[in-house]
Amino acid sequence: MALIEIENLSVTFHTKGRDVRAVQGVSLSVGAQESYGLVGESGSGKSTILRAICGLAPISGGVIRIGEEPVPTPRGRAFSRRVQMVFQDPYASLHPRHTIDRTLSEPLAIHGIGDTDARVMKALKDVGLPASFRFRFPHQLSGGQRQRVAIARALMLEPAILLLDEPTSALDASVQAETLNLLNRLRVEQGLTFLMVSHDLAVIDHMCDRILVMQNGQAVEELARDDLAGARMKTAYAKGLFAASADRMLGA
Amino acid sequence: MTLLSVRDLKVTFDTEAGVVEAVRGVSFSLGRERLGIVGESGSGKTMTGRSVLRLIRPPGRIEAAEMRFDGIDLMAASEAQMRALRGPRIAMVMQDPKYSLNPVMRVGAQLTEGLRQRDRLGHADAYAAAVNALEAVQIRDPDRVMEAYPHELSGGMGQRVMIAMMLIPNPDLLIADEPTSALDVTVQAEVLAILDGLVRDRGMGLIFISHDLRLVARFCDRVLVMYKGKIVEELAAKDLLNAKHAYTQGLLNCLPRIGGPRGPLPGLDRTADWAN
Repeated sequence: MALIEIENLSVTFHTKGRDVRAVQGVSLSVGAQESYGLVGESGSGKSTILRAICGLAPISGGVIRIGEEPVPTPRGRAFSRRVQMVFQDPYASLHPRHTIDRTLSEPLAIHGIGDTDARVMKALKDVGLPASFRFRFPHQLSGGQRQRVAIARALMLEPAILLLDEPTSALDASVQAETLNLLNRLRVEQGLTFLMVSHDLAVIDHMCDRILVMQNGQAVEELARDDLAGARMKTAYAKGLFAASADRMLGA
Repeated sequence: MTLLSVRDLKVTFDTEAGVVEAVRGVSFSLGRERLGIVGESGSGKTMTGRSVLRLIRPPGRIEAAEMRFDGIDLMAASEAQMRALRGPRIAMVMQDPKYSLNPVMRVGAQLTEGLRQRDRLGHADAYAAAVNALEAVQIRDPDRVMEAYPHELSGGMGQRVMIAMMLIPNPDLLIADEPTSALDVTVQAEVLAILDGLVRDRGMGLIFISHDLRLVARFCDRVLVMYKGKIVEELAAKDLLNAKHAYTQGLLNCLPRIGGPRGPLPGLDRTADWAN
């Protein structure tokens, strides 16, 4: 049974009397506890799909179903308890004037969940941050630490689905490794389902079981992980993308 | 022929919490070649690049035993001499187009400003030169880009606009600070090909600053690996995969690979002697 089902999704933005069709008729389905990757160049619509799921982009056509039910508009509290998102740039996605404590306890307050103190401490521990960071501000943290806070915030409501929008592209290679390890550990520990966007094929390959290659708002090709490693893609675009990442191959 | 030589460069910041040494005794020399500087954030690679142009504001201070560009002593040069060097002789492509382009000025106005002010070109000539520069960096619709504001461009286009802007005065030395880190692999390959062509055709020197070790190995002739303001290893790019230093090896190993094992990625061990 698919946990996330997207059928024929289209997203169209109207700007300056011009229609920008960011996503055109994309379908995909992600099973429970699966990890699914979206790759493609910038402007291919991969982030827009994540934003459409969260209600941050308008759905102009098609259906998004979470656990067999179409998502409501506006998304509502029940939705945010099941689905959370981690954004690309931890410098922009945390409130600069809120302490880590306030950032992490806000979702609890909104949803009327008690036991704030213990939950915040546990969240910090889960993402490997010392308890002394609790009353710091984002500017007192490094990029990797901030991304850990963003992940902790997404996990505060114990969601089943995590939408990851380029979670490591703003980070150094060594910090990226730590963050990817953290995400993989949390996925196993908490039984999470990942829908992850990245332009780095190596990161997607490391994290995901199945991959959808996108171009110009359209799905180009769906690949299993073994097909990617074995360079068994059918379309010219996917091959080109793979060739441009050849230095990310094992043994290169 | 040596275009730039730097000996014992130090950059220090006097802060409330004491003196912070961002660069601690860096020496290198550069001919008309592609030199890569790699390291993590905070390793001092950007500061090294900016020091060459003396673009470090107080409380930062630059000290060097020697810093010489094409026979000119950069440490002794007056501010007016430095201004004459910046742009026409040494140009720098800054890291992030979102912060380095003027958000309230059209791209065309930014590209032609230098030509009109410095080279005293007329409107039509400056416009034509700017369009040429945009075409040189493979922008497909230069007339639209000339009329656009920076927020209307994608990251890749913004980055190419900045490269175009730096290439208009035809510099001898280009310092590119993470020119491709905001780009996709496919666009990245294009931008690198553009830079490569410029080094070959114009005989330009290039300092390529990046955190991506593999990219630098593929693209540059020589690589300096920096950690905490020091050069830990200097090597020819083709020898990178046989790097001796533990830090260089650690940086290489922590990248995931297509088809690699799914287990946890190795982290960097920062406890060894070299980490101080």
